[in-house]
Amino acid sequence: MAQVFDLVLSAVLLAGLYAMMAYGLGLIYGVLRVVNLAHGGVIMCGAYLGWVLHERLGLDPYLALPLVMAVTFGFGVFLYRVLVCHLPRGAAGGPASLLLLFGVWLVLRNAAYLLFTANDQVIRTSYSTHSLPFFGTFLSVNRLAVLGLALVIPLALQLFLSRTYLGKAIRAVAQNADSCTLVGVDVERVYAITFGLGTALAGAAGLLSATLFSFNPAFGAGELLKSFVVVVLGGLGSVLGTSVAALILALVEVFAILVLPSYLTSAVGFVMLVLVLVLRPGGLFGRPVLG
Amino acid sequence: MLRFLLLRGRARDAFRLTVLLACWVAVACRSQPGVVAERTEIHIGATLPLTGAEAKVGGFFKEGYELAVEEANHGGGLEVGGKRLKVKLSLLDDTTNQATAVSLADRLINSEKVDFLLGTYSTALVQAQSTVAEQNHVPYVNGGGAATDIYRRNYRYLFGLLAPVEVLGSTLMQWIDEQQQAGKIPKPARIALVWENTAHGKDFRLGVSQFAAKSGAYSLVVDEPFELNGKDFGALLGKVKAAGADLFLADAHLPDYITMHRQYVSAGLCHKLVSYGARGSEQGAIEALGKENVAHILSAVWWNAALAGKDGPARHFVDAFKTRYGRVPEWFQALGYESARALFRAIELAGSADREAVRNQLAKLELPSILPGGTLTFPAESGQQARYPFVVQQNMPDGTSPIIFPRDVANGTGIAPNPRCPN
Amino acid sequence: MKRWWRAAARAKLLVYVAVVALLAAAPALLEPYTLNLVTLAYLMMAGAVGWNWMGGFVGQVSFGHAALFGVGGFVAAHVLSSSSLPSPVAWLVGGLAAGSFALGARPTLRLRGPYFTIASIGLGEASRLVFTYWDWFTGGASGLSLPLMRESKQELYFWGLGLAATAAAISMLIRRSALGLELLAIRADVDAAGDVGISAPSLQTRMLFLSGAVVGVSGGLYASFFGFIEPNDMFGFDRSVAFVLMAVIGGLGTVHGPALGAVVFVLVQQSLLASYPELYLGLYGSLLIAIILFEPLGLSGLGLRLGRRIDARWLEPRRAAATAARQAGSP
Repeated sequence: MAQVFDLVLSAVLLAGLYAMMAYGLGLIYGVLRVVNLAHGGVIMCGAYLGWVLHERLGLDPYLALPLVMAVTFGFGVFLYRVLVCHLPRGAAGGPASLLLLFGVWLVLRNAAYLLFTANDQVIRTSYSTHSLPFFGTFLSVNRLAVLGLALVIPLALQLFLSRTYLGKAIRAVAQNADSCTLVGVDVERVYAITFGLGTALAGAAGLLSATLFSFNPAFGAGELLKSFVVVVLGGLGSVLGTSVAALILALVEVFAILVLPSYLTSAVGFVMLVLVLVLRPGGLFGRPVLG
Repeated sequence: MLRFLLLRGRARDAFRLTVLLACWVAVACRSQPGVVAERTEIHIGATLPLTGAEAKVGGFFKEGYELAVEEANHGGGLEVGGKRLKVKLSLLDDTTNQATAVSLADRLINSEKVDFLLGTYSTALVQAQSTVAEQNHVPYVNGGGAATDIYRRNYRYLFGLLAPVEVLGSTLMQWIDEQQQAGKIPKPARIALVWENTAHGKDFRLGVSQFAAKSGAYSLVVDEPFELNGKDFGALLGKVKAAGADLFLADAHLPDYITMHRQYVSAGLCHKLVSYGARGSEQGAIEALGKENVAHILSAVWWNAALAGKDGPARHFVDAFKTRYGRVPEWFQALGYESARALFRAIELAGSADREAVRNQLAKLELPSILPGGTLTFPAESGQQARYPFVVQQNMPDGTSPIIFPRDVANGTGIAPNPRCPN
Repeated sequence: MKRWWRAAARAKLLVYVAVVALLAAAPALLEPYTLNLVTLAYLMMAGAVGWNWMGGFVGQVSFGHAALFGVGGFVAAHVLSSSSLPSPVAWLVGGLAAGSFALGARPTLRLRGPYFTIASIGLGEASRLVFTYWDWFTGGASGLSLPLMRESKQELYFWGLGLAATAAAISMLIRRSALGLELLAIRADVDAAGDVGISAPSLQTRMLFLSGAVVGVSGGLYASFFGFIEPNDMFGFDRSVAFVLMAVIGGLGTVHGPALGAVVFVLVQQSLLASYPELYLGLYGSLLIAIILFEPLGLSGLGLRLGRRIDARWLEPRRAAATAARQAGSP
């Protein structure tokens, strides 16, 4: 029984991380119908940004979070205005958007390699290895912080989307972009801001990952795939769907160690991705991912 | 676009394709083979992981190689058949990538025309690169690949200075067994054994599990591989936690050790005895993880500076290294230095830079060495992999890592069980 | 005027023969390092052309073809290590195994556009993890050694050349045939094509198998060439990415574009290898961005534009003059 409790706790903590990673990808896809293959690259950038701020300025990663998000937001807007806006939307665009953003990812990876070399880095603070006792087991401080943020940020996102004008505009554009033009919404501006928001969330996820794992310029591929799994599982209904999907993925992965060698638990997520894509395109909640 | 796609004329396309291939060949037809000149130096090639996952250790091996080359050139060069020939080392960065290591070895041999190769670091890379050396009949002397699989292929040109990892595992178990006999850890003891998914890890696992099976006083409650250079060991450590073992034995390379141990500590894990195989005492790791977090970790290594007595090759090496780099060497630098030294000695004994002659000298080499046991040989029965005893170290809370086993070279006593979690 | 055309045709034939002779004599002319490079280029050409059948002809961009490359390579390695069958047989077996393995991805074929790509990434990565774990098959992260010196590098050169030529020939044949037209149709609009009786699933399945088989055979040759293969290199995401880059840079969907892209890719990668190991990624990333934005057919597209310009400036006037002369001669 204690073992199950332990596993559930691990899963909840892990779900926090997965949810953080998936929000940005889901937002961009939901509104722009563009699969952001540069998502992994932006996560990596967030990690390096946080690391640089920590190393050079001694800035604690959690304090640096707003700064990192601001920078990656700006980068996202820039990326949209310069590159992405030229692409056709959705499935009709073929592989164009995928390949373009993939190209961006490669360039980001290379830039990080040139600036920081390929060596593994990690953000090491005084409390990195601390853990809090909790009903007979220990919870890592960093993972708790990630969980906390993973609960706060979607709440903030949800409030933003439902209460503010810009948020409502984003939701409107997601439903029908042409009608929005008719009623006077500057669709391109909304797209740019959404893209920026998506990359800002990715940057935040990167920074938080950096406090948990070591990273190098190739970091982000695994995170990208896990984000896909969560987005596809959760459909595109809501922020809530993404959170629940992240929890499901985390639970499956964590409990898989009971039957599978721990080596293969990551493969579980990928298999789930393919199965859901093929069998239940609607995901488990919300609107269908396909078409 | 359709116009282009509905192409006209098969002949035109065939023509286009051959033009394509021809351009490539023409462009590739660059250099002409050079004129064979009078030999003025011995050209040694090597790649090391100077960037990438094993960058730290790659840098250490580089220090060892460069020290040996400096020493050789100090007296004017190697004494080869009556002449003094300087040693030139061409060192490339293989970025801890096997394919790159293979390509660069090919380039060193076929394009830069090196005479001999010194090995790269880590079993996986050595295994791949040695194949290139063997295909081209180039002697390959390495202190970076320890798995027996590498040498089981019975390559003629491959020489390994690292003793087998199997023996590492069983030496560790020997000390642990002593503690069990002395009643310091339970009998029977439960072991959680995890190992990297490479020949290196499999060797370690074999050494430990065979010892455990023979002794009968140990049970393996976890026995699992993990991904080399993995980032998240959460699932693995979850399994270890759930198993409730007494001892935690892992075989990992430096980056995985640092990652795994950080997550181990964060998860609040603690075992009576902990070992990461050959890792534990590295200064870099102690800095990355914090002194208090690595206390009492056991490791078994191929060399330790404490082995240097009053005089002899080990003393000379430690002093020379301290003078040159201002710190005490670890086993990486020692093995790099010794590999180069072994190669140089064989070249001198052969009296020429002929690859066959040098290869034969290496095969029957008996070199007074800095390594435990005092002599370096490459026995044919073990596929030309050296065999000598390991030394077991333990990290002390004050930051030192004395040798605790075998008794005759020990300069400290081991502590068991871990004071943080004796039960 | 006819003499002009005949002379041009003869010149073309001479060049053709000269090129073939050059290719055949290459092992004697080139030094070993360059010869190895060329052989590697041939292997990559075959792989890229094979990938293009799925990515370009069918229109399903796969980021998971490394799984097929790896299966082909390791199966061939096992056959070579454990039997005395001739190497070409081993490579073929590897190719067939890879093709069959590819068929396992059939259910994902009905996914459209980016969703297929995502699924292919998932399958590719899952394959990598499972096969790396299955260390009987792959030797774990340490990899497998093959028996040495089965073929000399010269022999492998000719086998590589043969494979590249075969792949290119198949590409031409497909494009030229009814199959090619059908593929074009389903790439343009699957539903409309279905309305005229073109069954997408069976076509796509055939191409999937073919693509997997050719990539698998190139994997087998790769294994023989290096004498040592390891799963992170064979099954890795970077390997899948390489196929995509080669095909897109050369010209996605064109017949010979991928071959050109492969040549460029291998050249650039090898020349940067010693001095700037990872610079080639950024280079290709920028190239990819430029290609998507400005010239979707990549280098082939650029070549076509150049060809059209030459045609307009020099050849067209000549043709017009010849026509005018003929009309003046015979009213």
